[in-house]
Amino acid sequence: MPSYSRYGRPALKNSVDVQLQTAFSDGNWPSVIRLADKRAKSLKDPYYEAIKIAAESQLDSAAEQCAVLVAIDELIRQKTVPDLDTIDLYEWATQDLLADLEYAETLGPLRARWVKANPKSPLAVQCLQSCLEYWDLVSAQQIAATLDKTYLNSGDRRYMFWSIILTFLLSISPQCTEASRKVYSMLVLRQLERAADTTESSEKLSSTDRGLLTEEECYLYYRVLLKHGTRDDFVSRMQSQRLGALAQLKEKRKPLFWEALDAFESWGEWDRIYDLCNQALSLSADGGKPSFFACDWQVWKRFAVAASKATDQEAALGQVQDVLKKFTAETASTNAMYKKNIRLALVETTFQLPPVLLNANPDHGGMTPRVVQLGLFLEQYFDRLAAFDDIKGYVAQLSFEEAKCFLEKVLPNILGEDTDPIRQIILKSLECKLRYLLTTCPQTLSHYPSVVDGKEQDKDYRCRFCSNLTNLPCEHCLKKIIAAAADVYKQVATDKKLIEAIPKLDKDPRIDLAIVMALSLLKLSGLRQTLSDVPAASALRDVNPSLFLQAVALLDMQLRETPGDTGLRLLLVQLHLLLGCASYAHQLWIPMDVKRTIQDALSPLFFDRISSISPGLFQGSRPLMEPLRSYYSNCMRDNSPLRIWDAFSSGSYSSILDMAEYDSRLRRSCTLMMTLVEERRATRSFGGKIECDIEDHVLVSHITGDTTLVNATDYGSFPNLESHHGAPVQDLVRFGPAISNERSHLAFLSEQYLDLILFKYPKDYKLSRANEVAIKDRNYVMETLSHISSSLTDFIHSSKTPQGLTGPEMTYYTVLSLLSAGLLTALTTSRADPLPKTFSLLTSSIKSAFGGLRTTFLTPIPSSSPLSPQSEAFYALTDMHTMSYVRDTALAIRHSAAFVIAFHEKELARDRSGRSSLHKDVIAEMKALDGVASKALGEVKARIQRLKEQLGEGGWLDRMLEWTFGREEDEVSKAVSQVVPTEAVEEWIGKVLESWREGVKGWGMVRME
Amino acid sequence: MANFRRFRPDDLNKLSKCNLDPLTETYELSFYLQYYAKWPSLFQVAEDQHGNIIGYIMGKLESSPDVYQFSEHYLPWHAHITAVTVAPEARRLGIGKLLTEQLEVAADANDAWFVDLFVRSTNHKAITFYKSMGYSIYRVVKDYYGDHSSDPTKDSEDAYDMRKPMKRDVKKEHIREDGKKHEVDPSDVW
Repeated sequence: MPSYSRYGRPALKNSVDVQLQTAFSDGNWPSVIRLADKRAKSLKDPYYEAIKIAAESQLDSAAEQCAVLVAIDELIRQKTVPDLDTIDLYEWATQDLLADLEYAETLGPLRARWVKANPKSPLAVQCLQSCLEYWDLVSAQQIAATLDKTYLNSGDRRYMFWSIILTFLLSISPQCTEASRKVYSMLVLRQLERAADTTESSEKLSSTDRGLLTEEECYLYYRVLLKHGTRDDFVSRMQSQRLGALAQLKEKRKPLFWEALDAFESWGEWDRIYDLCNQALSLSADGGKPSFFACDWQVWKRFAVAASKATDQEAALGQVQDVLKKFTAETASTNAMYKKNIRLALVETTFQLPPVLLNANPDHGGMTPRVVQLGLFLEQYFDRLAAFDDIKGYVAQLSFEEAKCFLEKVLPNILGEDTDPIRQIILKSLECKLRYLLTTCPQTLSHYPSVVDGKEQDKDYRCRFCSNLTNLPCEHCLKKIIAAAADVYKQVATDKKLIEAIPKLDKDPRIDLAIVMALSLLKLSGLRQTLSDVPAASALRDVNPSLFLQAVALLDMQLRETPGDTGLRLLLVQLHLLLGCASYAHQLWIPMDVKRTIQDALSPLFFDRISSISPGLFQGSRPLMEPLRSYYSNCMRDNSPLRIWDAFSSGSYSSILDMAEYDSRLRRSCTLMMTLVEERRATRSFGGKIECDIEDHVLVSHITGDTTLVNATDYGSFPNLESHHGAPVQDLVRFGPAISNERSHLAFLSEQYLDLILFKYPKDYKLSRANEVAIKDRNYVMETLSHISSSLTDFIHSSKTPQGLTGPEMTYYTVLSLLSAGLLTALTTSRADPLPKTFSLLTSSIKSAFGGLRTTFLTPIPSSSPLSPQSEAFYALTDMHTMSYVRDTALAIRHSAAFVIAFHEKELARDRSGRSSLHKDVIAEMKALDGVASKALGEVKARIQRLKEQLGEGGWLDRMLEWTFGREEDEVSKAVSQVVPTEAVEEWIGKVLESWREGVKGWGMVRME
Repeated sequence: MANFRRFRPDDLNKLSKCNLDPLTETYELSFYLQYYAKWPSLFQVAEDQHGNIIGYIMGKLESSPDVYQFSEHYLPWHAHITAVTVAPEARRLGIGKLLTEQLEVAADANDAWFVDLFVRSTNHKAITFYKSMGYSIYRVVKDYYGDHSSDPTKDSEDAYDMRKPMKRDVKKEHIREDGKKHEVDPSDVW
């Protein structure tokens, strides 16, 4: 490090007098400038000139601030070795000017130049550290190479590995030119191969040899080999008795073993996987017993899969079973987790058996070895929290006959003679979940002809469990599951002894029962994944609202009983967002305490699209997005990955690679983009001031159209009872498609478009040479519009885009894309020239797209709605997102029209001849669009007013109760009412109403201009 | 089902099963990365079949600053367990034990004298767990915690500094049987 902490003030040379030292440490810049100038003149020491320039950089005037840039430029041109203290001073002085100063082109090369001249100085390492902090890999690599050369025979191996890893990082970095990439790739590979050969050929490596010694060095070698070497090289090196995966595993070094398995799998090298797993699992521990060091689930699974792919499948699977037997013999004394891995490995191996060995004896009615193994596993683990997840994948693979046998013959006998009532409840709860799982598996249905006896059928399938005609999934089975789960639930809820036994269990069985009932209700309601092929965003538009409301009421009641269950809470957050109850969803979200590091992966579960559902939430005392913004600001304060120097100084080479990769991903996070865009949209809604153009925002200024933005949302805690044949539960309950690269880019571009057309010079800003400025402005606008328009068009037409947007989002981005193209045409067509036909095509497309969105907005009640009067309010409240995009689209149109008209007037004022002003048809067309948009905004205002009035009226409790349970009780609502007391439903309705009212109140404050 | 391996930064996107549990603290990114940067072999995770993290242990290797070399409280080169957590669904399967054993392997590989950790004196479950793994109380740090986990009327709680000797400590010089009798102030702990 330089002689100052990154954000502190540097210490001046000891030779500097006390007066100047004091003024500098006090930050008394005018005095520093005066004194330094005086010393520079009297002592003729350029260091004082540097102090003066550094002090000037702290003043307010732009000219003085930039003097340091000129000074640095001069140092670079001089080609002499700069003074290190001067570099330190300049580095500190340019901290706030970094946007204007490319470190890698200025201070980095100066530091590299200094190190070349002073390679043995202890300060050389500080220069390396500085370059790394600015992530200037080119200069850092040069410094490291110099250090390695200097200390070649010193025995300090870290310089060698710093040089190697920096050459590698550079070879995979965008900082490397294409011409150099090949050279660096080759260089790093050769260096490590030489090191590996040294190790291989030495009897015993000493710490001064240039071979591979530590685990980190070996790991680095294989990472580089994987990236830059050939597959054959990697495979052959992996066999090494010294550095190979197995040899390293024997030394208790596991990462290389995992690396080898991953690589072999990606290449489909199953024979090698088989051999490696076989050898790893055959290693012996003390006393000849099998070693459990590699007894991981992935090892067993890969071993079994590899065996199933072997030429002699039977022999290979036999070997897996032999190895398993050795471990099984030791399970009495082994760790419970390993024991479970072994039990599951037995299941996995059975599921890998060739079909010929699996054919069920017809007399046994589906009782195949697979079913038997599942039963044996459950005998041990059915009461464990993870039991369902452990076997879910296997059950979904069973044939119908096997599944039927499993449910009807195996499950009921799991408990044998055991009559413990709570264990019976757990088993019944598991059975309900498994029955639900099977409704998501296609093998439980058979196709049914669309025409039977000349009559058209509306059901496509016949359920093989209940024999009823059905669509997917089987409604009859779902209803039976609800009834069965409700019975068990009621049994628990009414039995004091059972309630008292719950705290001793892994999990309260009522949670699973409530979830299975709710998911069945949601499926019965017709809830489907929302995609942009439907015009409205609301997933509730085409569902049976009663069944949906019953599901939410049931889960809400359960959460009050068991507030600590995260899965339940996450489901409810999503469902209340679908219901338009954002403030209540927020109340449910807060106790999960999503903060700090986990925000990037979890925040989209609540914050994605939140400004379009309930902008009022942003009106709280603490800015809603502030924790997220601070998190990213802290993590990305420097250009380098956090803590990277720690990894260098500790010799943690694999950590360096992973940290660099993680940092790069975090800087490209969709959640980061979501954070900024949601906040900007909300700020604009309330007429607030937006900090800066989004493109200039320090957190995203590095993002270009080519950057792939990454969605890392963590759905791991959702209770997922679905099989792999269908969408996971989060896709069902999420408000629209997940965040994606395409949506994030569209949001980023739309903000850039708005920044452009809403730009106004500050009121007190006086333009000098107005004409010249106007021409520059015009060129800038054209260039920017052209870029935005073409990028929007590219992303809109990307094949992945439609599946990543809601209908209203699709309309909004389409309209923005058309507007930007329209503006470009309008602004480049002079009054005298004929207006290209594309312009009217663009405006009519805008009208058509926007018209479609307005129609959806204005007809909220689906024709199939079973709800009573006032249902208009229900559908409107559950689809504020569509209203939000009507507003946003209308405002984008109005702002675009205003921009065009202002441009026209400015040109008229600049050029009185009128030649550069815009075409009259452009003006007329834009005014017409403005009229349409104004009308739409009036409709939005009227909608908000109407909702406010409707929610202020009485009778909502009864109305909601009726919507929830219907006028007549059917078998499903009867089952749900058994579980959810009326008081609980009423309490929940109160929260829903309150949240709707809060939401509408927030909307009332939103500006429509 | 579980795999045991070293932590990698991508795991931070898969922490929900552990970190949404109120008993698990979520730290700043730099805290996790500091451990990963300096002591990668002492940062181990257990993952389920979907890659979700269902348990992790974070540890470090250190000794007291040289300036305390002659103090009675000086700690020689040792490993320290900073955090260990297991997701609710993965408890009672010995995952905490396996993670701790893996950290001990790394401690031995790094020539540590012992592994130590701090635990609230009222956390009997954890104390029993560590005792079953060979840890013993080395000293009591008075009022180490600024709150009390079970008694809201108290504003502090003692910590037990528990230790397990590693292979290097052949003579078992770094543990003692009467650790409960050795009370120290938080200021004696570095």
